Amino acid sequence: MTEAVLFWLFAVVAVAGGLGVVLARDPLHGALSLLAAFFALAGLFLLLAAQLLAVLQVLVYAGAILVLFLLVILLLDLGPARAAASPPGVVKLAGALGALGLAGLLCTLFLSASFPPAVPPSDFGAVAAVGRVLFIDYTLPFEAISLLLLAAILGAVVVAKGKV
Amino acid sequence: MLAVSQLGSWLPIALLFLVAAGLALALASVSALVGPRRARGVHDESFECGSEAIGSARERFGVKFYVVALLFIVFDVEGVFLYPWAVLFRELAWPGLAAMGFFVATLAIGLVYVWKKGALDWEH
Amino acid sequence: MPVSLADILALLPEILLSLGALLLMMTEVFLAGARRGYQALLAALFTAAAFAAFLAQRGGGPRVLFGGFAVSDGFALFAGATICAGLLVTVVLGAGFLAPRSAERGEFYALALLAAAGMCLLVRAEDLLFVFIALELMSVPTYALVAYLRTGDRPSEAAFKYFLLGAFSSALFLYGAALVFGATGRTSLSGIAAAGGGKLLLAGLALVIAGLSFKIAAVPFHMWAPDVYEGASTPVTAFMAVGVKAASFAVLTRILVTAFGAPALAAVWQPLVVALALLTMVFGNLLALTQRNVKRMLAYSSVAHAGYLLVAVAAASRGFSGPSARGEAVSSLLFYLAAYTLTTAGAFGALAALERMGPDPQPWDLDRFAGLAKRRPWAAAATAMLMLSLAGIPPTVGFIGKLLVFKAAVDAGLVPLAIAGVLASVVGLYYYLRVVVVMYMQPAPLGSVPTPASWPLDLVLVATATLVLLFGLAPAGLANAALSSTGLLGG
Repeated sequence: MTEAVLFWLFAVVAVAGGLGVVLARDPLHGALSLLAAFFALAGLFLLLAAQLLAVLQVLVYAGAILVLFLLVILLLDLGPARAAASPPGVVKLAGALGALGLAGLLCTLFLSASFPPAVPPSDFGAVAAVGRVLFIDYTLPFEAISLLLLAAILGAVVVAKGKV
Repeated sequence: MLAVSQLGSWLPIALLFLVAAGLALALASVSALVGPRRARGVHDESFECGSEAIGSARERFGVKFYVVALLFIVFDVEGVFLYPWAVLFRELAWPGLAAMGFFVATLAIGLVYVWKKGALDWEH
Repeated sequence: MPVSLADILALLPEILLSLGALLLMMTEVFLAGARRGYQALLAALFTAAAFAAFLAQRGGGPRVLFGGFAVSDGFALFAGATICAGLLVTVVLGAGFLAPRSAERGEFYALALLAAAGMCLLVRAEDLLFVFIALELMSVPTYALVAYLRTGDRPSEAAFKYFLLGAFSSALFLYGAALVFGATGRTSLSGIAAAGGGKLLLAGLALVIAGLSFKIAAVPFHMWAPDVYEGASTPVTAFMAVGVKAASFAVLTRILVTAFGAPALAAVWQPLVVALALLTMVFGNLLALTQRNVKRMLAYSSVAHAGYLLVAVAAASRGFSGPSARGEAVSSLLFYLAAYTLTTAGAFGALAALERMGPDPQPWDLDRFAGLAKRRPWAAAATAMLMLSLAGIPPTVGFIGKLLVFKAAVDAGLVPLAIAGVLASVVGLYYYLRVVVVMYMQPAPLGSVPTPASWPLDLVLVATATLVLLFGLAPAGLANAALSSTGLLGG
């Protein structure tokens, strides 16, 4: 019961936050909606017993990435008045219809699908359990991520330094 | 799904969030209800006395702010991978040290590159 | 899962490429002087070593590495060697193109090597999660490379467009992978094949195909390609056209054949791939017809070639053809990838050789090729050879590639598709041969200043044209190598 209530609470906030990101005219409001969505997502992770993921969601996404977004919005002087001209009505209608169609399709799929029952181990989601999977089973993806982060560093410097 | 009993252990954190949100709301509403309302004229300016404000506070800033922010996120993500490794340090032993050693060494080279390149230099 | 030394050794090519990238980053900050010629040499050496490592590993049977995230099989080795060949051409092109513009930096080569490491991991990925990481490792450095040399608005626009659409396509792929995982509970390709699934699996499959279709620039997911290919500096365009496309095609084929190879599933994706192939061949060629800008023409040409490659992918579906026909289709894909890599990289080399320094309103106009036969007969002959190969005219390797692909399609029962492909190639003749005609029949425009020759660019031209001719006259070696490389693990 508690779980169901919490699930619906987090789910509604997550979807509303997502809608807010798309619909808000002021980019600042969009970013704050994203923050709400991030927190709700962390709550959903918690309900799925993925505790480490929930904490990291708050630390990395809400704590670092969103702050970067806010910084960019503030520094770029993107007030609501400077927002791009809104697309013509036909485009909006087509986009809305497409999104609704996709949502309907996915809902039908999810409702009709039979998901294989997951049997997580008792310590699932704990830091140690995640670490064991990450460092023992997923060694190769883990090391590949170091290269990916390196590429991000190099790319950021190359793009920002501009004039070669 | 998480058992309800386990969920209970997160109650203090949920309470903390509630108190934080409640406190912010309460303070904002108290100040709105009780505070004096003189939002006009000279009170709207950045400095009520002294120098006049010039231009808007929203201006284009140098790209170096973004570089530092981006690099922060990259190394933040690196730090995230260190948590579970630190918890399991003894259990993982040498293979774990080797795996993390390679990971950190790669990013350390990235750090040396960034450092020597001057991307962290403010005056550069 | 204990990591064995053999597993690490199997990844030697990727390790060499990454080490090279790290070393180049360090030379850039510690040894950067006025003379940077050694950086290109260093990059070329590491690339050649990775290429040699791929060749040296051939002959061993298929092996699973690191507990099933990657494999070492003939398919991965052949595709990896092709990618390294494309990278080698890119490095030499970069040296010849960037040095005169005093824009040669270690970062350029480091980014290219890192991206190539991602590509090589991508072609051997055997798990959707690892596919995604490798896909990003390929894409992130490529975004930065597109933004590497930017003067004026065009390159910035291209970099931004490529980044946005690339991130979007990665997200599509990731969502598809998530749906596949939801339907089967597995991420490994062989696990997905064993588990099977209902409609949800099909939705995931469609999204995975859509995400990768962006990367290979198949119609209708191609809109970004002309602008990005035009805006990026020419060596980067060559790298995107050959490397990104080859790696994406390899992983698309592996996913479709290994994870979705069951007849019931193949019956779903084969028509999808056939439709994509048809659209891509027809529109790619038609759109290329009207281009006077040779760089845009080559961009549309690379779209059209994605169509021919999709014909081979469609022919590789197991549901409609026996295992031998599938082997034939996969080998034709590999051969075509190798032929396409050599020819396209060389063609962009020709473009780089004619590009002027400094601001130029129309740097890639067809007129730039006028009178080339008189001024630089060798470069003109090489360019003509590359254009013939792109058009698929004997005695070039492009002809053999098309022959093998269309033969595989016919053997797989896709006769109408093969006929459409031949007709589309006939349309393509016009715009490829127009370049040759302009080079040989038109005099150079009055008052035009010839671009000074640069030996690395000439080396690329002559080397690729020679190989194109050589493999066209004696294709047996390369074709046999491709034929013996079709062993897809679990496929």
